[in-house]
Amino acid sequence: MRPPRVLRWVALLLAAAAALLAWQWWAGGAAPDATGGAPNAAGPDGGSAADGRSGTSPAASAPATREQQLALWQQRYMRAEQVYNSYRDATRHPPGSRPIAAHPDQARPFDPVAQDEPMRDASGRPVSGVRLRTTQEKVFLGGGESAKFTVAAFDASGRPLPLVVHRAGARSLPDSRALITIVHADVPFNDSGTAPDDEAGDGQYSARLNPGAQGFAAHAGTIRLLVDVTAGGEPGVVAFDVVYVPEVAAEWAGVREALEDGSLNFYLGVRVKTPGRYVVAGRVQDADGVPFALLQFNDTVEAGTAEFKLSLAGVLVHDKQPRFPLRLVDVEGFLLRPDTFPDRVMLPRLHGEVHVSRRYDAARFSNEEWRSEERTRYLAEYRRDVQQALAQLERLRQR
Amino acid sequence: MPVDATASFARCSGQRRLGAAALALACLAGGVSATNYSLWINGRNGGGAVGNHLDFTYWGSGTANAGVNKRSVNWDGYNRISSTNGGIRDALDCYCTGENWCYVAAHSAGDLQIGYALSLYGGTTREIRNAIPGAGGVCGSTGGTQTGWNIKWVAVAAGAAGGSELANIGSWAVSDPLTSDLKTATARALYDHNQTRSAWFYMYAGAKGALYSSTLPGQDDEVVAYHSAGGVSGSSGASYCNPRDWFCNDLTLGAGANEGGRSKWSFHTVWFRDDGESHDHYTRRTWSGIVSRLRADMETYAQ
Repeated sequence: MRPPRVLRWVALLLAAAAALLAWQWWAGGAAPDATGGAPNAAGPDGGSAADGRSGTSPAASAPATREQQLALWQQRYMRAEQVYNSYRDATRHPPGSRPIAAHPDQARPFDPVAQDEPMRDASGRPVSGVRLRTTQEKVFLGGGESAKFTVAAFDASGRPLPLVVHRAGARSLPDSRALITIVHADVPFNDSGTAPDDEAGDGQYSARLNPGAQGFAAHAGTIRLLVDVTAGGEPGVVAFDVVYVPEVAAEWAGVREALEDGSLNFYLGVRVKTPGRYVVAGRVQDADGVPFALLQFNDTVEAGTAEFKLSLAGVLVHDKQPRFPLRLVDVEGFLLRPDTFPDRVMLPRLHGEVHVSRRYDAARFSNEEWRSEERTRYLAEYRRDVQQALAQLERLRQR
Repeated sequence: MPVDATASFARCSGQRRLGAAALALACLAGGVSATNYSLWINGRNGGGAVGNHLDFTYWGSGTANAGVNKRSVNWDGYNRISSTNGGIRDALDCYCTGENWCYVAAHSAGDLQIGYALSLYGGTTREIRNAIPGAGGVCGSTGGTQTGWNIKWVAVAAGAAGGSELANIGSWAVSDPLTSDLKTATARALYDHNQTRSAWFYMYAGAKGALYSSTLPGQDDEVVAYHSAGGVSGSSGASYCNPRDWFCNDLTLGAGANEGGRSKWSFHTVWFRDDGESHDHYTRRTWSGIVSRLRADMETYAQ
C-alpha cells in the first residue's frame, strides 16, 4: 500500500505529475527488471561499496560463443571475489564478538515492537481511513515475565482519532491438533494514566499481560491477546501473539570480567536448573554510551553453577578504539530446545547497565584476527573459487 | 542421481593436500568425494516427500537445470519452523560437511528455515556425513566432526524471514501452525537475522502482487512484501517499493541501506528487484514466479 502525500502537496504536484507521466508513456516501454545487487566487497563492517549493476541475469542456457562464455565467467569471477573478500574482512572478528553495525536491529533489543497497519474488523476486512499503531513489549516471554501492549488510532493523514477499547482478553492457542485446555483471562486496557499507561488521555491505551499470574502458569505455547475497539466511530479488532513458557531454566548470578589472551571476557554467572544449549547476547557501549559491539554466547551448559562467557575480542577493541570504561548492557538469553515448539525458555531480561568494566590500556588487547578451523576452511574454499574463475577467464582470453 | 562428474573433477583439481599423482589417482578412483550440491528449501504448504531429496514436486520438473547436483530439502511447510528445522539441519549435515560444499536456494518460508539454522546452529559441532541419505533423509556418518556447515552462499526468492502481513491478519488457514511463525513480529524475533556465519544471502524480490495490495505494504508478490523479500532489518515491516513508485521509499539494490535509511540485515543483498512487476510468489510446480529468476541464476552460478 502506497501512503498518499498530504493533500496540498498532491494538488500542487498533479499538473507536473501529469506532464511527466505523459512523457514516460510517450518514451515507451515498461521498466526493465533491475538486477545485480552485488554485496559490498568489504562486507557490512565498512569499506568501499560495490557498484550495483542493472540489466538482466546472465543467459540461463549454456553460452555458445566465446564472448558469452567470457561474460559468464566474468560474472562468476566477480561473485567469487566479492564472496571471498567480504568473508575475509567480516571474519576478522569472531562470530560471537561483532561490531554492532553488523547487527543493525540488535542494538536496542528491548524496544517494543511497533506496527502501523490498517484497522480491521472482526472478519479481517480493512476499515477505510483508520490506522492503528500498536506496540508489544515482547514476543517471547517466560516464567514470571510480563509484556506491555499499547493501541492508538489515527486517520490516513496521521491525525489522532478517538479510540475506545471495549474489552480485551488473552487466550491460549492450540499449536497443534492435540486437545488442550483453553485458558482465558481478561486484560484491561486503560488511558487513565494508571500503570502501565504512561499518560492519561493521550489517546494511547495500554495493558499488561502477566501469563504466570493470569492463569497461564501451566500453558507452554502461544497466547493470543484480542482487543475489541472502536476507532473513528468504526469497530475493529487487534490481535497480538506471544509465545510463553512458564519454566525457569536458569537464574542470573552476577558478572565478572577478565582480560585473557588479549580479549576482555565478561562472565555472566548463572545457576542452571535445566542443562542444554543456551543462546545469550549482550551489547557493549563505550564510556560515552555509544554502542559498538554485540557479544553472543551459544553453547551447551551443564546444570549447576556456570558462567556464560561473552568475549569482547581484542581485535575489535583495536578496530573501534572505544573509550574506557566499557559498559555491558541489555543482556538477553534463552535455553534453546531443538526440534520442538516452544523452542526456548527465556531468561529474565537484564535491561540497561549490567556491568562496568575497568579501564585498560589499549596495548593490552590483541590485534590478532580470529583464527579457527572454520575460517581457514572457508577462506581456502572461497579462494579456490576465485582461482578457478580466474583460470577460466585466462583460458578464454588466450583463445 | 549420479554425482555430476564435472563438478567432482573441478573440486578434485582444487585439492592441494595430496601429492599430484596421488590426487589424480584418488580422483579417478572416486576416492576423493569432494562435491558441490545445490540444496533447495521449500516454503509453505510443502509438496515434496519429506526425506526424499530427489523429489522436486514443490518446485517443478525434476530434470530442470537448477544448479549442480540439486537436492530438494523437503519439509512439510505446515508445522512450526522450530519443530521442522531438524530436517533442514539433517540435509545440511548430509551434503555440506567434510569435503562437500553447498549452494542453498530457498523460497518463501524456506528463508526462515535456513536463517534459523545458520543463526542458532551454524556454529555448533556437526557430524561429517557421506551425502548418501537413508529413507528419512539422514545420511551416514563418516566418524568426523566439524564446526558448522560448508555454505558457498544462499539465494532466496520471495523470502519470508521478515514475515507477512497476511499472517498478521490470519489470511491463511488458522489451523496452520506455520502461519503463527510468519507473523511479522514473530518471524523477526525468532533469531538474529544478521548472524549468517558470514554467508551471503542473495535476495530475489518479486512485485507482481495486486490481490492483497491493501494488506501488504509497498510492493509485494502477492504473499510477501518487499521488506521481507528484500531482507530489510528491524522488528517490524515497512513499506518499500520500486524507484518508479514516487511516494514510497525504494528497496535499493545491493547490501546498502534502503531509501529512508533502514538497513538490510547483514550479509543480505538484493540481487533481483522486480521493477517490471512481472514475477509473483508462486512456483505453480513449474519453477514459475520469482523462483524462475532464482533457478536461472542457480544454473549459472551454482557449479
